[in-house]
Amino acid sequence: MFSKKNKKNNDPTKTLPSTTVQTPVTLDNLKRVLANIDEAEIIERQTNNGQQVMLLYIRSLVNLERLNEAIVEPLNTSSHLTIHEYMISSKVSRMITLEEAETHLLRGNVILYGMDHEEFWAVPLQNTLSRSIQQSGTETIIYGAKDSFSELLEQNITMIRRRIPLMNLKTESFTIGSISKTEVVILYIEGITNPDYVSIARKKIASIDFDQFLDSSQVAAFMEDHKHSVFPQFQETDRPDSCAFSLGIGKLVILVGNTSYALIAPITFFHLFQSPEDYFLRWIISSFLRCIRYLSFIISVTLIPFYVAVTTHHYQMIPLQILFVLLESRSKLPFSPFWEAFLMLITLEIIKEASLRMPTKSGQTLGVIGGIVIGQATVAAGFSSNVLIVLVGISAIASFLVPNYEVTKSNSLLQFILLILAAYLGLFGILLGAIGILTHLNALSSLKQPYFAPVAPFYLKEWKDLFIRAPLPWMKTRPEYLHPVQKWRMSRRR
Amino acid sequence: MTALSLFEKSTTYNGAYIFMMANRFQMLYFVFIMPTYLIHPYMIWGIVLVGILSHFNLMLLSKWFRSRFATKGYDGFVEVFGETLVRFFAWIGLFFLLLKASIILIGYVEIVRTFIYPSMNQKWLILFMLMISWYVASKGMETTIRLIVIAFFMIIWIILLIVPFYLPPIAAFHDLFPLIPLEWTEVNWEGLLFIWSSLSGPEYLICLGPWLRPNENTFKSLAYANALTVLEYLLLFVGSLFFFGSNYVSTTIYPVVNMYRYLQSPVIERIDMLLISIYLFQFVFAISVLLLCFYGVARIAGRKTTKPTSRMGYFASWLTILACTMIINEWAWNGGTVVNRLLNLQIWSGAITYLLVPSFLLISIYRKGRV
Amino acid sequence: MRWIHAAFALTILSGIIATTGCSPFVENNTIEEIAPVIFWSLNQSDDRHLEISTLVPPLIHEKKRMLTLKVDLQKQGGKEFNLIYYRELKPGQLRVIVINEELARKGVLPLISTYLMDTDISQRLYLIISRGNFEEFMREQLNEQANLDYFLYRMLKHYEASNQGEMSILNLHQFKNKLFSPYADPYLPLFEVKKINLTYKGTAMFRHDKMINMLPLMDDQIFQLINNDHYLKLFAVPSSDVILGHVRSKVDIDLDPSYKNMTIKIDLTGRLEEYRGNKNLHKREDLAKLHQDIEKYLVSRTSDLLKTMQQWKIDPLEIGTRTLHPFSKPISDSEWLNLWEKMKFKIEYRLTIQPLVNVNQ
Repeated sequence: MFSKKNKKNNDPTKTLPSTTVQTPVTLDNLKRVLANIDEAEIIERQTNNGQQVMLLYIRSLVNLERLNEAIVEPLNTSSHLTIHEYMISSKVSRMITLEEAETHLLRGNVILYGMDHEEFWAVPLQNTLSRSIQQSGTETIIYGAKDSFSELLEQNITMIRRRIPLMNLKTESFTIGSISKTEVVILYIEGITNPDYVSIARKKIASIDFDQFLDSSQVAAFMEDHKHSVFPQFQETDRPDSCAFSLGIGKLVILVGNTSYALIAPITFFHLFQSPEDYFLRWIISSFLRCIRYLSFIISVTLIPFYVAVTTHHYQMIPLQILFVLLESRSKLPFSPFWEAFLMLITLEIIKEASLRMPTKSGQTLGVIGGIVIGQATVAAGFSSNVLIVLVGISAIASFLVPNYEVTKSNSLLQFILLILAAYLGLFGILLGAIGILTHLNALSSLKQPYFAPVAPFYLKEWKDLFIRAPLPWMKTRPEYLHPVQKWRMSRRR
Repeated sequence: MTALSLFEKSTTYNGAYIFMMANRFQMLYFVFIMPTYLIHPYMIWGIVLVGILSHFNLMLLSKWFRSRFATKGYDGFVEVFGETLVRFFAWIGLFFLLLKASIILIGYVEIVRTFIYPSMNQKWLILFMLMISWYVASKGMETTIRLIVIAFFMIIWIILLIVPFYLPPIAAFHDLFPLIPLEWTEVNWEGLLFIWSSLSGPEYLICLGPWLRPNENTFKSLAYANALTVLEYLLLFVGSLFFFGSNYVSTTIYPVVNMYRYLQSPVIERIDMLLISIYLFQFVFAISVLLLCFYGVARIAGRKTTKPTSRMGYFASWLTILACTMIINEWAWNGGTVVNRLLNLQIWSGAITYLLVPSFLLISIYRKGRV
Repeated sequence: MRWIHAAFALTILSGIIATTGCSPFVENNTIEEIAPVIFWSLNQSDDRHLEISTLVPPLIHEKKRMLTLKVDLQKQGGKEFNLIYYRELKPGQLRVIVINEELARKGVLPLISTYLMDTDISQRLYLIISRGNFEEFMREQLNEQANLDYFLYRMLKHYEASNQGEMSILNLHQFKNKLFSPYADPYLPLFEVKKINLTYKGTAMFRHDKMINMLPLMDDQIFQLINNDHYLKLFAVPSSDVILGHVRSKVDIDLDPSYKNMTIKIDLTGRLEEYRGNKNLHKREDLAKLHQDIEKYLVSRTSDLLKTMQQWKIDPLEIGTRTLHPFSKPISDSEWLNLWEKMKFKIEYRLTIQPLVNVNQ
């Protein structure tokens, strides 16, 4: 049923948003549309056999070299009966309405007007401006493929298609945004991905009504089930291999034009902790690393609150040797543990944010100043204790271990909530907060699928790829919680 | 404003959830004070014996679950009993739900107060716990049931901490002697009743019928849950005998927590504070489920089943539990002594519901089948 | 979505409450404002009063001083200390209780029951008995050694961990268990305090909660071997001019069914660390002779020790637990004490010593 709805990629005429009024395309209309656009050019030409042809295009969007090659030269040298026969390019389409014509112009197509037959033809000659394929900036790995997405949608699709050379890899494209006219493409493997997800995603994209989309995260913001959550419900990645892997296990990938980040859905909370490298390293090592990642997430969220809880309420819990150190370093501080931790964390956030926004070179200097000078100086000046500086350092580093940057960001917020609870209710408060957070995670969903699977809902078999990463030959099935159409990953099974 | 849909049903849950829920319901408050009631080493057999009885009781319960009425929820009950009778039972059920929720809440808060915050007003703790339960329950029955998995795995490992008490020099066999009862007093009967009552809890699963997916494995899940519970009881009881000796165990309050208090880890001492806080998970879960059940049953009792769930109703149920708990806490629970009238009431009520509910339901279906 | 708003509002609200200080707590445990006491030293002051002292500030490198108060009840001491010291004293980190010998002879149960009940206090609390004026010792040492209290705790912890076989150290929980068990009697380490010295003198024996007497060092060594640690790092046998090292013991106690006779078989393994006698240890016969001498000595000392215990009517070796059987009614503690007093025993030692030198045939 999906093959019928499946549209061929890159065919703009079919994906146009349906407009209510259909104006027929005429030369006057087109001229009116192009009025006051400086780069718009309207050129009259005569072909070899005397036909009058008019070329309409927007200079900045069109590849001018190819314009000469593909249109001007054939018009000069060959002789054919109708205009579209002149075109070497196979993708010449005829248009009837003005809206179609406008879209074509804006996509960098050249419109040919055969004056004799009064026909309008569009020839795609986009000026493909893009950077080269580079390494991923956010998800770096040591082994594995190095390429990452760029801003060019088609190039991104190519990268995925190369990894999944299947006819079943289907793409559906939509245009959203009244100003940005952003192209959004849903990719999925027919026969693996559950068709429900595709229809949910399709419905959600179709219902988007907004003017401008400059990044895929904006698209995600409109598609999320729970808009008030700090947890991302779509995984953003610029790695084609992650996308290919996700497609292979039954998820769908959403590519957005002019951004280098793809959206993957439905995801679970635990997917955010998985790095593509997990599947490249030896299984024991990657299981260990994965556990370290979960651990460091927990540390980064709870370590400072725990410190505050213990120093404010539960001095009984500290071993005597540590109490020795703590008392010594805290005895002359001006702030209570809560305020001390709060101010240090705020400072840390400021340093973090500043070093991100600064130009690269001054960013390094900032790191040095922030790390060494502020850390050392606050202790020397007696604003905070040595112990806290150590703990803040540990928790800050731990927060970066999570492969997903968005989780790293949400960490700090959770930390502050737990910090307040810890100052107020101690350990009991931290656990109250933890229950709150876990309940929230448990109630979340991504594309209407439970976010905390395979823990809750409980899929014991899928725990083989959760906290540990079992040997690949053991992973004979695709994750059950994704409800794939084809369960088995091996083809000789049946 | 989005509508509050607490009792929506889009999926059903399989045996694993029944296992975890039944087990955690049996491991609520009573397990913390159990050794104080059992005292004598030969009550080990008491635990085993009552565990086996409970096993048969669960067999009856699983028969109900496999009948066609169980998964229909309210309609199922109406089909069996007729509407008037169901409403009558609902009123009775309200009382038991309220009692159970209040007692476990107050019991847990009492533990927290004893070991973590000796100078804190209990009312605050009750309020905090009910607030978080409110949040949990407001996510609806479906997600609340799902939370059991998290609660279960957050807590189940704690039982492993009992291992050091099974190693010498703490463990000595003579602490377990005599192994057979040489005299039998009323206290022992009370002990047996106490075990039976603390094994109660799975009968509340009948309220969750619509969200469960009973099949031939239901009994297996319930039986495994029961077996795990009995194992945990045994481990804790034998451990406390090793740790305190039979002579002292009857005079301690909260023997289980006191055992955990003795453990020491190199990083933090007094891990009992941490463990008590972690136990919060199962109490919050239980109270949230009871809260939802309470609201559901109250809707039946007040003939509101056809109307959609409302915030006011939910809030009123929550407020009732809060008020009831506060009142019980204020007047009836004479702090300090664990043994008191209210606890006895809960022991008896738990024992009675656990004994009667499954058999009564089963008899009703058979009668229905004959008529 | 309103629930999220509500939760958010709640968080903010609790944040405001927390930061403004309106909190349901009455207790302030912020660690820089409290002084977690590590030890209490308890002394008999007069008939009714206790003298209770500690060092403040604990755990901080500040000038320390000794606080001493005369009180009726111990907790009252804690309260009154707060009135004379600028940090609040908290008992949650209490590690050592030093009880004066005179006080211990009058009974320790009323003293320790306070610590048993307090859920703030860890049950891993070391109890020691002091002979002499502990307070004066502390005061003298203040200038010499800054963190005396802490090092006292570390010492006890060191010898407790994995049974170092030097001192009989019991913590509060173990002491309580022995106190409440019908077939056991508790014991505690006894330290003698001179002006500048703190010396381990032996084990103080208790009948119920009252201290009876002290086992001197030699007896204490045997006590360590057959009961407490089953290990001694160095075991001096002066009668044979020998020191055995790393002595490990395996004790086998047999009661006959009538509970009238008892056999104790003790296997000792160790090595010869030092010898100053005139036997030639390279010779087999001499070595065998040495074995015999030591065994004989041990048997007589052990039987003396047991007789002393019978005299004192105590059973710290927990021999009474051997009367327990799975299928019979336990005998009462007074019954057992009668049996114990009249019990006859036979002691056998089996010594295996590594000579550490080559022995000629």
